[in-house]
Amino acid sequence: MAKLGVHDLAVRYGKLTAISDLSFTVAEGERVFVSGPNGAGKSSLLSAIAGAIRAAHGRIEMDGEILSGLGPEAIARRGLSMVPEGRRVFPGLTVLENLSVGTGLRRDRGAVTDDLETVFTAFPILRERARSQAGALSGGQQQMLAIARALMTNPKVMLVDEPSLGLAPKVVDEVYDRLCQLQALRGLTLVIVEQSSARAARVGGRMLLMRGGRIVADGDATDFAAKDLLTEAYFGGAA
Amino acid sequence: MSLQLLFDALALGGIYAVAALGIALIFGVMRLVNFAHGQFIACAVFALILPSTDALAVLGLGALPAPILIPLMLAFGAGLAVAAEALVFRPMRNASPVALMVGSFALGVALQNLLLVLYGGRPKAVSLWAELGHPVQIGSASVPLLQLIVIVAVGVILVGLALMLRKTRIGLEMRAAAEDFTMARMLGVRSNRVISVAFALSGALAAVVALVLVAQTGVADVRMGGQIMLVAFIATVVGGMGSLSGAVAAGLAIGAASALLQAGLPAEVRPFRDAFLYGGVILVLLFRPQGLFAPVGAKPRV
Repeated sequence: MAKLGVHDLAVRYGKLTAISDLSFTVAEGERVFVSGPNGAGKSSLLSAIAGAIRAAHGRIEMDGEILSGLGPEAIARRGLSMVPEGRRVFPGLTVLENLSVGTGLRRDRGAVTDDLETVFTAFPILRERARSQAGALSGGQQQMLAIARALMTNPKVMLVDEPSLGLAPKVVDEVYDRLCQLQALRGLTLVIVEQSSARAARVGGRMLLMRGGRIVADGDATDFAAKDLLTEAYFGGAA
Repeated sequence: MSLQLLFDALALGGIYAVAALGIALIFGVMRLVNFAHGQFIACAVFALILPSTDALAVLGLGALPAPILIPLMLAFGAGLAVAAEALVFRPMRNASPVALMVGSFALGVALQNLLLVLYGGRPKAVSLWAELGHPVQIGSASVPLLQLIVIVAVGVILVGLALMLRKTRIGLEMRAAAEDFTMARMLGVRSNRVISVAFALSGALAAVVALVLVAQTGVADVRMGGQIMLVAFIATVVGGMGSLSGAVAAGLAIGAASALLQAGLPAEVRPFRDAFLYGGVILVLLFRPQGLFAPVGAKPRV
């Protein structure tokens, strides 16, 4: 059974259609990149899966359980966590407080301390800045905090929206290194929005290419550079 | 004289601060300016006396000894606010912010009319804790005992609330929700719980204001709610919408300014005290339209 399944999803903002007839499944432990031009519906897709926006139509399931229609807190409680676009750390809360917000849903309180140690080991800067306000962190540090905060909910599936946005290439490398490390460590299933197909190819994984609210290609990220699928998605096919 | 003035300023400002906190708490998590808050206060005032349209009020709840009365009143205020949230605001959760605000006006008018039906429109004399009016000599100042109690109580409430927000799980969730409600929900924070607790706290604070108002003025008046609501709302705006410490600081400042003007203005212009006071408010807002302590990302949705 697929870990995460999206079937015939449609998302609309008023009369504007962001996503239509979109279906795909993700296997447990898989790493899936979602790429495509601005306005392709990538962020809408993640927001709809996390329950932050309501789908107009379609079904979203995790482990065979239907998530569509549930509120974001109920979805989070079932083990799906989101690292949203723009990171959205709580700026007035300390780093440690940011990390604690998501632990309220957990029943395994004893493991929380271990997980804190895990994310502090992966992102030592967060340990150093544990008492600082999150708003005072740099963009890269905030991205790490957003990832660490999502991990503290002990998710099975994690959605990451453009972790590279606005970061220096070197910092992006570090973020992806840690993300892959943590995925292996925790057996996470990852869905990552990433504009750069080159980056996705380097990190490795499956890639879904979106355009106009639909998936136009689905394959291994490394194949995308070779084929001209990307140009097609950005500039429209010959047809 | 000046010591006396300090106590006056602190007591009045403290009450304004508590009233403003009641509004700021709900605005913080819901971005809703709850215009029914003044009527929560009025309802708590009238909960002290038995329903009748006679001019002389007969104490109902208010006749109970303070150690029982105070928790009961806090529970009444909290219960009223939680019920209002569940019945009025929850069904409107996904409505537009303007609809939500109009809803709070409607709720306020409904509550006020309920009070008019039950109690009539005339102000009533209520004698609550009359023995607390006795003055206590502190240095050169002769201060009513009630004023001292109010100042201490406000201090205890502010410290207690700050501790709750800083040290408890629900406090953390409320602060996170105030900064980014959807993000907090995506981390498993239950929106209904956070909002209910915010309303409960707000209602309990309304009951505190009601108790102090009645004890200080000895009057129960349906219009009381609107008057204090106005000052409290102005305090939250001056303090910066969504900032709890801002609401407290501005409430204290407005109370203090009011007491100072009362004492300092020449007798012939004293009737226009509020014109001076709100002129000052306008000046503050001209220079800081976002309020004194506007938090990041807490723009009103309306």
